[in-house]
Amino acid sequence: MSRALDDVVVLDLTRQFAAALSAAFLADFGARVIRLDVPPVRVATDGRWNHEADLIHRNKESIALDPTHASGLALLKALVGEADVIVTDWQREELAAVGIDYAGACALRPDIVFGRISGFGPVGPDADLPAIDELAAARTGMMPILPQPGQPPIYTGAGAMHATVMLAFGVVTALMHRQASGEGQEVDVSLFGANMYGAALDIQAFLAIGEGERFLNPISRLDVSNPMSGSLYPSADGRWVTLTMPDTDRWWPEFSAAVGIAADDSRFDTHDKRTETNRLELIRELEAAFLRQSGSHWRAVFQEKQMSADVIEQFDYPANDPQVLANRYILELDHPSFGRVKSLGFPIFLSDSPARLERLAPCVGQHGDQILHELLGYPAETIQKLRADGAVA
Amino acid sequence: MAKALEGIRVIDLTVWFQGPVSAQFLADFGAEVIKVERPQGGDQGRGVRSIKSLPVGDWNQYFLVINRNKKSIAIDLKTEAGRAILYRMVAKSDVFLSNLAPEMLEGWGLSYEKLTSINPQIVYATNTGYGRFGGASKPSFDMTVQALTGAMARLGEPGEPPVYLGMGSGDAYGGIMSALGIVLALYQRRRTGRGQYLDASLYGAQLFLAAPYLQSFLAGNRDAALQHSRKQVENPLWNLYPTAGKWIYLCEANDDARFAALCRALDVPSLHADARFATSALRAQHNEALIAAIESLTLRYDHQALMTAFVAEAVVASPVNNLADVVRDEQAWRNNYFMKAYCEEVQREVDVRGLPVTLSKTPGEINCLGPQLGQDTELLLMDLLGYEWDEIEALKAQRAIP
Repeated sequence: MSRALDDVVVLDLTRQFAAALSAAFLADFGARVIRLDVPPVRVATDGRWNHEADLIHRNKESIALDPTHASGLALLKALVGEADVIVTDWQREELAAVGIDYAGACALRPDIVFGRISGFGPVGPDADLPAIDELAAARTGMMPILPQPGQPPIYTGAGAMHATVMLAFGVVTALMHRQASGEGQEVDVSLFGANMYGAALDIQAFLAIGEGERFLNPISRLDVSNPMSGSLYPSADGRWVTLTMPDTDRWWPEFSAAVGIAADDSRFDTHDKRTETNRLELIRELEAAFLRQSGSHWRAVFQEKQMSADVIEQFDYPANDPQVLANRYILELDHPSFGRVKSLGFPIFLSDSPARLERLAPCVGQHGDQILHELLGYPAETIQKLRADGAVA
Repeated sequence: MAKALEGIRVIDLTVWFQGPVSAQFLADFGAEVIKVERPQGGDQGRGVRSIKSLPVGDWNQYFLVINRNKKSIAIDLKTEAGRAILYRMVAKSDVFLSNLAPEMLEGWGLSYEKLTSINPQIVYATNTGYGRFGGASKPSFDMTVQALTGAMARLGEPGEPPVYLGMGSGDAYGGIMSALGIVLALYQRRRTGRGQYLDASLYGAQLFLAAPYLQSFLAGNRDAALQHSRKQVENPLWNLYPTAGKWIYLCEANDDARFAALCRALDVPSLHADARFATSALRAQHNEALIAAIESLTLRYDHQALMTAFVAEAVVASPVNNLADVVRDEQAWRNNYFMKAYCEEVQREVDVRGLPVTLSKTPGEINCLGPQLGQDTELLLMDLLGYEWDEIEALKAQRAIP
């Protein structure tokens, strides 16, 4: 069966989670992704399951080579000559040092699609700052307003995960262009840009409005703009309830009944009263109402009335949610060393060429011989010599 | 300049945020995206008038930015004649994208089966709330889905309420996930001639918002699900610290050379000499004491003075900026993460979110902001779909179009 990317060879020259996972997403859909394991090699996990590697390096092959070694460097360049795509998160000067910055890679493979996660974008005064997601998140302006008032800023880590998908999208979009025109190009997604994208609505609103304390300082959950939307209330068992019912007129009759407020209570009988005049009073009433019942009770009520509201869960919820397993967002798999384990699966469903788990993370250098033979056509004696020289592990 | 997705035509039957932003990525890179809207009011996103209780101002940036570079056709899909128009569009399009509920699409005669009977090569993309399988049936909005993923519950100091990752953060993630699925299917289709259907759900995408932590939890690290205090992080050199001004994020490895540099920057030889902090293992062991010590020092500076001292010792750190800083950030403007665009609604240039995915030879473009409701209806009916003027009059009489 055809796979989406089964004519694409990707070289994975990554160190960090985000870019490595981008390459894994391409591998999930059939690209041949060759991970270049260069020194210092990945460390073993003293007998425990390397759950991270089995997510971010799944479906990849591995060749271990040493570019500080002359024949290792030649091999690296030969591989670039055979690749359609490079995915990397190295700094530009590191890539230039081994001759495979974009210009170098182009000389070896003119139509290459060169995908890179940078810290702060391809141009500008901070283009070569390190690619550290915390630095990028700190620059983005959201960290101070995520917590409750008086609390420290919050780093979510979501920006790097945005970058993962944005890079994969950029690479496949560039492959579309190459498919039509034969032309390769550079694709850059920065952690800064990705964090900004993840903060889309707040940033865009501030850009347009240009002021507003509510964009610069945290908003207390007891001062939320709409008591029925974006709000948080504790339930009797300590689990939190959240509501997204911005159109309060539509929901009020059923919602008021569910929380034990008379629908015609004159304090709250218009949208304006609920969200402006008596907003704080409604928040206090809802705070008291939700505390009277458990999270499970509220979930059942929301489900029955098809309200846009739910209970805030910890990771055990998706880990055991049949809905998640039915859609293969989390996979149950038989690990050769660790038995039955769960691992994050596939967020995109394609009906005709679905993502597949063909193999777990490769051992360092596991596919060296195969890659040298199949991709570069090296005879066995050449491969042996490379190993003897220490260019390939 | 060449466009990466030149020649791709997308039917964009989406509302609010996740679906529109998926199609926005395709439109930015040159696809012809035709937004299909109900004649009365169109996409509900057009109705957004305030954000965080603040009026959006004289232009609706919520709608206009994520629907940029698109055309708009107004069709009442509840009428048979309206559906016939859409079917004619399907015959001439490459992608059908919707974030309406599958049952609703089914009810309007817009199932995958129906559309492939018209165009077997169509790429049919949905953004469901909870996935195509499993039977979950409830409304899905960004925050209510984010609530289920566990991503909110692990953030914040212990005992504090869960933390929403930001307005629309999960919708934005579902949107780019969907755009990735679509270009994958299109790339394959160009080689094989085969279309298919795909789904990128809000839930499925959002499970990856906290992927490193969720994966760790799945491997048995229960702790990964819980809130953690910044006063107890294992490496005190990689942490948030308050100053007399803004907070700063210090990002250094816990090794002797970096600790020495930090102590020089803070001008505290005594800290460097403190036996409790003499090795990386000791610094991890006495992390709470070291965090308290560093915090007492950083509070003596404002963030600018502290950053100056850090830069002098090449200590890696950043002030924790706010939105007023980022909209002035030169780096963001230089990289087209922010751009200027002409807004018809107010007849002037406005500042908009730009292009976060940078392609060197086929960069994205912003040619226009979101369309007026139905502005291209008649033109598309005539030029693209081949309707005669008297047929268009008849469609109006049947209330299939406004």
